[in-house]
Parts: sequence; C-alpha cells; structure tokens
Amino acid sequence: MNPSSARPDYNAMSDEDFRREVRAFFEREYPPYLRYILHRARWHDMKEWWRKLYERGWIAPNWPRERGGMALDAGKMVIYLEEMERHGVARPPDQGITQVGPLIMRFGTAAQQEHYLPRTLSGEYIWCQGYSEPNAGSDLAGLQTAAVLEGEHFVVNGQKIWTSLADDATHVYLLARTRKGAKKQQGISFLLVDLKTPGITLRPIRNLAGHEEFCQVFFDDVRVPRANLVGELDDGWTVAKALLGFERLSIGSPRRPQYALNRLEAVARAKGLLDDPGFLDRFIALKLDIEDGAALYGRFVEQVKRGEPLGQDVSMLKVWTMETWQRLTDLLIEAGAEQGIVAGVHDVAGVEADFLNPFYYARPATIYGGSSEIQRNILAKYVLKLPD
Amino acid sequence: MTGDPASTTTEQRAMLQMSVADFVARGTDLARVRRLRGTSAEYERAVWKKMAGLGWLGILVPERYGGLGLGLAEMAIVARGLARALVPEPLTATAVLAATALSGAENEALKREQLPRLAAGDVLPALAWQERTAELDPAAIETRAMPFEGGFKLNGVKRFVAGAAQADAFLVSARTTGGVVLLWLPRDAAGAQLDLEPLADGRSFGTLRLDDALVPRSGVAASGGAALEALGRAFDHGCAIAGAELAGVMERALEMSLDYLRTRVQFGRPIGSFQALQHRAVDLHIHKELASAVLEEAVAALDRGPAAPARAAAASRIKARCADAAARITREAIQFHGAIGFTDEFDAGLYLKRALVLTAWLGAASWHRRRYARLSSGVRT
Repeated sequence: MNPSSARPDYNAMSDEDFRREVRAFFEREYPPYLRYILHRARWHDMKEWWRKLYERGWIAPNWPRERGGMALDAGKMVIYLEEMERHGVARPPDQGITQVGPLIMRFGTAAQQEHYLPRTLSGEYIWCQGYSEPNAGSDLAGLQTAAVLEGEHFVVNGQKIWTSLADDATHVYLLARTRKGAKKQQGISFLLVDLKTPGITLRPIRNLAGHEEFCQVFFDDVRVPRANLVGELDDGWTVAKALLGFERLSIGSPRRPQYALNRLEAVARAKGLLDDPGFLDRFIALKLDIEDGAALYGRFVEQVKRGEPLGQDVSMLKVWTMETWQRLTDLLIEAGAEQGIVAGVHDVAGVEADFLNPFYYARPATIYGGSSEIQRNILAKYVLKLPD
Repeated sequence: MTGDPASTTTEQRAMLQMSVADFVARGTDLARVRRLRGTSAEYERAVWKKMAGLGWLGILVPERYGGLGLGLAEMAIVARGLARALVPEPLTATAVLAATALSGAENEALKREQLPRLAAGDVLPALAWQERTAELDPAAIETRAMPFEGGFKLNGVKRFVAGAAQADAFLVSARTTGGVVLLWLPRDAAGAQLDLEPLADGRSFGTLRLDDALVPRSGVAASGGAALEALGRAFDHGCAIAGAELAGVMERALEMSLDYLRTRVQFGRPIGSFQALQHRAVDLHIHKELASAVLEEAVAALDRGPAAPARAAAASRIKARCADAAARITREAIQFHGAIGFTDEFDAGLYLKRALVLTAWLGAASWHRRRYARLSSGVRT
C-alpha cells in the first residue's frame, strides 16, 4: 500500500482542477470500447482498468488515505461519479470497494482489516453480495440461510440468488440467520466467505438480455471460520443497513437516461419521426421528464456538497429516474419498429442503434436496489408520514 | 447578516418568504376568496395597496422607476406564497406582465410617470396582447394602429386580458404600416369598450373592443423591435410566475389531501394506511418536488438574463411542468376527498379551479412542450 503522505489531498484542490484532472485521466486511460456498455462489466474486461486505477491510487475514491483510498469528501465524490458517467466509464465489479470494504473498516476487527482491505484494493479479492434469497427479496429480513456455530466454525446451509457477477468473484459477503425467533431483523449475522470453500456451488442465471450476470449460490454444510464474522453475532442487520442513501443518489443519477435520450433523439431524427406530431409529443414529454429529473437530482447533489446527510426523500430520485428510463426505452423500441425487435446494433440511416439491449437493461432498474414499490413505501411512511 | 452576497441573498429571500407567509396567515383567507368570486370587482384595492406597501408590486420594476429592481426569483416567492391562499389580486397580470412590458418600453416620460405609480399600487395596467384562442405569438397581431395627429387611432379586439376587471389602463399591442407598437390606453378612453367573461376560478378575462380609440403620441410606449422584445419578455416572465403560482396551488392542495388521508377513517383505519392511496400520494409528491426543482432552477436561469430563445425555453419548461403537476394534484385532491371533494363548500374545488385557469392561461403544457421542442431540438412544429 502506498503511504498516505505520498498521496495528494484531493479535497484541497478546487472543484474545477479536480474535475479537469479526473476527466483527463478517464479520457486518456479508459478503454474506448468499454464506454457506455449496458451490461454489468465483467472482471476479464475490467481488470486492466482496475490495475490502472489501482496504480494511480484511484480505485477507492471513498476510502481513507491511510487505507489507500482518495478520501474524497462528498462534493468531490459527486464530481468523480459525474465524470465517470459523463465519459461512460463502467463500474468494475467494485462491491468490495463500495460495500464490504467500508463495512469492514467500520465494523471489522483489526485482523480482518489487515487481511481483507489491501487484497480488496488490489483486486486480488473480488466480492459479490449474498443478500437476496428465493423467498427473501423485498422482504430481505425474512432470509433463511442458516449459519450454525459449531466450535470455531459456522456451518452454513441455504441458498442465495440474484448474486451479481458471483462467477467473477473470489469472496461473498453474506447475511445468514444465526438465531431463530425474536424479531426477524434480529438473529442475522454478517459473514465473509471464500467462494473456494468446499460445499459452495454456483449456478449462473441467464437474464432477459441473454447474459449470465447473476447467479444462484448454494451453501451445503459450508464451514466458515468464526473469525470471519463482521460485527456482533446476531447483529448483521445493523452492519448491512449502514450503507444506504448515497447509493440511492448515485442510482438516481440522470446520466444514463440522458445518454439513452440522446440515442433516441438521433434515431428519431434519422427516421423522420420528429415530424410526426404524435411521436414528437411523447418524445418531448420524456425529454422534459429527464431534464426536469436532472433538476431534482441537482438539489440532492447540492445537499451532499453542503455536507448535509441525505434523508429518506432521496428515494424519489430512484423512482423517477428509473421509471423515466424505462419509459424512454419503451419509446425506443417503438421507434425501432421492425428493427426494434431484431437483436444487435442496427444502422438507421447512418445512426448506430441498439434497441433491445437498452430495453432489457431498463427492466430490472425498478427492481434492484429496492423496488419502486418499496421506495414508495419508504416515501409514504417517512416523508409523507402516512399512517401504517 | 454576513458580507457574502450569496448568503445575504439567501437570507433576504427567506425573510421575504416569511413576510408572504405572514400576510397569508393574517391578511387574507378563503372566505374572502369566496366572497369576491364572480363579482365585477374581482379583488380588493385595499389589499392591493397593502401588497404595494410590502414592496411586492415593484419587485420587477427597476429602482430608478421607484421599484426594487429584484428578480423573478423574488417574484416567484411572493406569487407562490400568495397562491397557497388563492389570493385573487392580479399579481402576475399586473406586477409581472404589464410591469415587464412597460419596463422594457422606450418612452422614458411614460415610464417615469407610470412605473412608480404601478409599484405604489396607484395604477393597475393590464397587458392586452392576445387576440385569438391558442395563438400565443405576441407578434400575431391584427389590431391596427393608424397614424393620427401624431398619435394613433386603434381598431381591433383584444381577448383573454387577465387583470382587466379593475384595470385603470391597458398596454395594447397593435400593428402599424411600419411594424408593431405598444400603446398606453387609459380604461376610460373614448372608443374603448371592456367586457368581462367569467373564469372557472371566479375571476374574469377582459375583452377589449377598440373602435377608433385614440392614443396620443405620449402614449406610445415602444415600437418596432423594442415593442416585440418587451412583449416577448413579458410573456415569458408571465409564464414563469404563473408557474410559481401553480406551485403554490399544488403545494397547498397536496397538504390538504395528505391531512385528509391521515385523519379520514374508513373500515376502521385511516385511509392513508392503504397502500393504493399511499403510492398515489407519493407520486403526487414526486411531481410536486419535480415542479419545485424545475421552477427554482429555471427561474435562476431567467434571472441571469439569457437571450430570447433560452429565455423562452426556460419559461416553457416551468409552465409545462408546473401546469401538469398542478393539474394532476388538484384533480387527485377531489378523488382523495370523495364526495365532499365535489361540493362547493369544500376548499379542494377552489384549488382545482385556480389550477385550471393558470394552466390554460398563457399556454397549456402541451403548447409549451412543443415550443420547448422547437427551441431545444430544432424541431418544426
């Protein structure tokens, strides 16, 4: 790990200088063929980019400097993410950086920190998230995968599902039930598991787009050292809950729909659809839905930049952005007409257009990261204060 | 207060917001709104003078003409706050449309005479620019101005004039052989006849019939490019502040709905506990927040004084979003309240009707979206 004294203090830079430096680096170093890809980037595509970021000291913008991160404050973090989105830089399989790393820093033992953090940073350990189960989706706390303590090991039995990029990962961070009864949020523990441990089987699941991006993970008498427990026994819910808010902000960023809108506009223009008043009315309403959503996003970003914590109201951003994105890809399919149902990239009067992939990838956007219905429940309860 | 201009502005706006809220709490109520609706008076001069006393009528009037020389951001705060109480006084019609048009005029003597009076609440001009339904181009003018003894003789019909009920004068657009002129016409001028048609919200539109109405040379406010620019700016600023009024209307209507959802008990529980209603309420809340975010962002853009196309795009963005959101929220307010919502006695209907008027006046959402398409995507519509 590089000593922190050798690392620049990015927060001391002006926003403009920092943005310029980030932009220049992305433009110079990011592989052009990976810009604006729709599917989750796979490790074999991204490992070269990971290495570049790692060597630059930029793989972990959210980590403290003494851990090898950039230690960006909220305002600089927003700039970093904005520049990623602007240039169409894909997220590498970075759940170790964004999720489990910060949790280990906050709740892990010194030994866990020393072991896992440097390996996560270098890309030696790639993480996937073992939360959802076949019978625990929106109702995550209803999870049933059991971890029974026998001496110095937990014996884990059960299955996880929708585990993104599990077949790229070396490790999984797992929520498992260590105690039954009581409130269902209690009795859950947070475990770190090496995927090479005997008794773990992966079954890739093909999604609607035809890609195998997520897996089902089966645990059959898997022995996990007790030392891999993060936080207190039976208190894993607290650990897992510590990461929200900022995720809903970045997930609600208008950049992806804005990019899709530009593609739609180019296709519509090429096909002469903007001369059709019926199409134009729908197109322009969507365009304003996206631009106006960007104004809403801007408000939350300003809040983060002022150093204020995000409230539950940030859920509205995810609902609006993702549902608008979906409606946009609905219109894209319609604009494509017969070409819209043929897979692959089409030449539409000189404009390159892929119709089906954007449509497919907008489908789960209202499901992952808390479904639109769950977000509306949150808003009704905590923002509108409607009764239970 | 600190010396930082940005935080001073923030503090001043917060104070302005408080003073509007205070006025709404003590200076007006819905009983007054009900009493005035459908009357030829439409609003109260005494209340108008109080608004003048608070400086609000002169917000957009430059300081050298007795105004405050502030921006649309401040005017939006006032309009939004007053609209929560459905204040019937013609703030947008007179203190935005007419004030912006007159401020952009070339006739210095006229401006020095009338703008201070407008800001003081002593003269209420209304802008008589539109002639045909759904025709919102300020240059679409058929009213003729024939040169006569150094001034003009006017013939034509102006429609949909807001704030006409007690207007003391009209700023009338007309076409001459040499181009467009903007003229100051006192209400009692010979050859000018005003008729009122009742609006859904209890106020009225004026129809101004001009039959050889005479305007002396001193009443020529602007001509040619300056007249058109003043009219275009007035229209855009009017759209933005009508959007601010819509924001106030939707905020209060949604508050009423949420209060009702929390307290109305059916089937042994508050109806706001039903997920079907919760999710609809959440969607309305999201639309309200979108409208508010757009209003604030686009008003700030307008206050930076953009060129005409960018100004029009920002104004249309506000009007389209605020009109749609207010329409949705005020209509759902009726449904949330059930049968009581359909009674005249209950207040939700007042909000629905004000939203109807503010939505159609100065261009419906669909019109503004098409104008936005023209400006942002270069589409011919």
